[in-house]
Amino acid sequence: MKLALFFPNACARLGVYLLLAATVFAPPASAAEPFPAVIEHRYGTTVVPAKPQRIVSLSYIGHDFLLALGEKPHALRKWFGDHPYGVWPWAQEALGDAEPIVLQGQIDIEQIAALEPDLITGQWSGMTEREYALLSQIAPTIPPKAAHGSYGSPWQVMLRTLGTATGNAVKADRIISRIEGRFAAIRVAHPEWQGASAVMVSATRTGAYSANDIRGQFLAALGFTVPEVANPFAPANGYYALLPDEDLSPIDTDALIWIDAGGSAARLKRLPLRHTLRAYREGREIYAGRLLSSALSHSSPLSLDAALDQLVPLLEAALDGDPSTPVSSMAEAGLLPEGF
Amino acid sequence: MSVSSIDVSPIRPAASLRGLRLGGSLLGLAVLSAAALRFGFRPASWDIVWRALTAFDPNDASQIVIREMRLPRLAGALLAGAALGLSGALIQGMTRNPLADPGLLGINGGAALGVVICILGFGITDPAAFVWVALGGALAASVLVFLLGGGSRSNPLRLVLAGAALSALILALTRSLLLVSSQTLDVYRFWVLGGFDGILPSTLYMLLPFLTLGAGLAAVAAAGLNALLLGEDTARGLGVRTGLARATAGTAIVLLCGATVAMAGPIAFAGLIVPHLARWAAGPDMRWTLAFSAVFGPLLLVAADLTGRLPLFGGNMQAGVMTALIGGPVLIWMVRRNGVRSL
Repeated sequence: MKLALFFPNACARLGVYLLLAATVFAPPASAAEPFPAVIEHRYGTTVVPAKPQRIVSLSYIGHDFLLALGEKPHALRKWFGDHPYGVWPWAQEALGDAEPIVLQGQIDIEQIAALEPDLITGQWSGMTEREYALLSQIAPTIPPKAAHGSYGSPWQVMLRTLGTATGNAVKADRIISRIEGRFAAIRVAHPEWQGASAVMVSATRTGAYSANDIRGQFLAALGFTVPEVANPFAPANGYYALLPDEDLSPIDTDALIWIDAGGSAARLKRLPLRHTLRAYREGREIYAGRLLSSALSHSSPLSLDAALDQLVPLLEAALDGDPSTPVSSMAEAGLLPEGF
Repeated sequence: MSVSSIDVSPIRPAASLRGLRLGGSLLGLAVLSAAALRFGFRPASWDIVWRALTAFDPNDASQIVIREMRLPRLAGALLAGAALGLSGALIQGMTRNPLADPGLLGINGGAALGVVICILGFGITDPAAFVWVALGGALAASVLVFLLGGGSRSNPLRLVLAGAALSALILALTRSLLLVSSQTLDVYRFWVLGGFDGILPSTLYMLLPFLTLGAGLAAVAAAGLNALLLGEDTARGLGVRTGLARATAGTAIVLLCGATVAMAGPIAFAGLIVPHLARWAAGPDMRWTLAFSAVFGPLLLVAADLTGRLPLFGGNMQAGVMTALIGGPVLIWMVRRNGVRSL
């Protein structure tokens, strides 16, 4: 049992180290001849014959990655929020004065065909094999790798893949080493975080993001252990598990991060068992409001810096286990225990 | 329904037997209610239940679960069950249609549209904030159904058809709005199953006046509906003002069902099956059917909520799912045994 609890974590950690190693020892990309680019993925192999000019981005967060590489998508898929073109503030500068077409809702094959793309990207799009088959008749299409599933691709993998597909492999590697360097520096500066437990939990319905999810990967990259919260009968998909209302102990971690994409602070305030958590009593909770939670949920090369800027000081206040140093975001949301 | 079919009716329980049955059901409901406080995902003993009710310790997790989670849920399930049972019996009696369900009057559809507009238009995702929009949507849609169904000259068939048509229209509108936003869908898909997750005592207090008024009107409407079951002309001959009886019953249905959907979302199936069980136990008298419906409804919903909270179903299966999972086999069993009474 203990081994089973430990194992997924060790795997996640190992994965991070392997990725680190991969960046260090990766052979220099042949910048001279980037095309045709060949990309292996869960539905087969895609060949991008030449540098794409009209990219349709179907990943809910993929436009951030393209913009980080300096590629402005012809059309992008809006996730949530009411920002211009569905692009959140951290990516607005990279977007500049570009005016991408905004797609919403389900993948609409006809609409995409009418856009006449020369590359369709969707590593975080939920694209099915059937949709892939249709889309790849329109243009070279990039679904996620087989190893990561619909919503589990690490940001490094997504960026490197897009770098290859758009002829920006070197740039992608440069961005990855910079951000991984920042994570490594934070890890070194916070030895007490290494091996401590932390979890991100949706405040809308109490559901925990697992170590496979990009939010769990974020915590693992800082050295935290993400608990396995399995609920075999609740709507679950390996990335997210709903908790039974009557038992919140699985998320009573050394740092408990409430992800609130909109207006659920009131729900948290009256969540009956919250007051019995050690995380509540010892001031180990962090409230991630709309901007921070969205930055974490995007986990893109552009949003990660914004997320770290905000979250690291909050984690420092939470992890000291001293309720007299309150977490500022909890105070702003009015969620601190009485007396603070 | 012809007079002869009443005379040859195979089950016509004596009044004393009926009273005994009702008493037994109430006793069963009391036992089930106690079990609903005792059992759930988190284990608890009778001792903890007793202490949670009499000497509440606000720092004890088990007592918090019982007092602040299971008790409001139980109260919600009792009220919603009684309301759905009553409104189901009323609409089946009023339309003389054994397939009628209180949701048929556009009530559930209207509430759903209200909730979706609330999420999409105002970014409100807190289910506690859905109460008034759901109630408003339900009332607006049902008024529209009554107007379209012929106003005061409404007859049951026109009313049911108007309700079905408007429900379909509202459902299409709701779905088209949901297609635009996956985030809205995420919140909506839990609400639409119906259940008592995170129900607040304050919500129950707010809805209590609607439920009380609805139950009172249901009792008043019972005598008129009894006469209507003999046929329109016979009822008139007996001196019953049929239009008034229908309007009273209709108002009761809208109040009861509207308040329920506002409290717990559109709980499927309870309003359909409970009156069948009640007629089987009560015989043809509408007053007894209503009394049994008001007890059988809570029985079904408390049982559904309790089983949904058991570890077997992961501790958070929606009550609206469980009502159909429990009620479906019961109705099939009744049909197979020819226990279903015609109207």
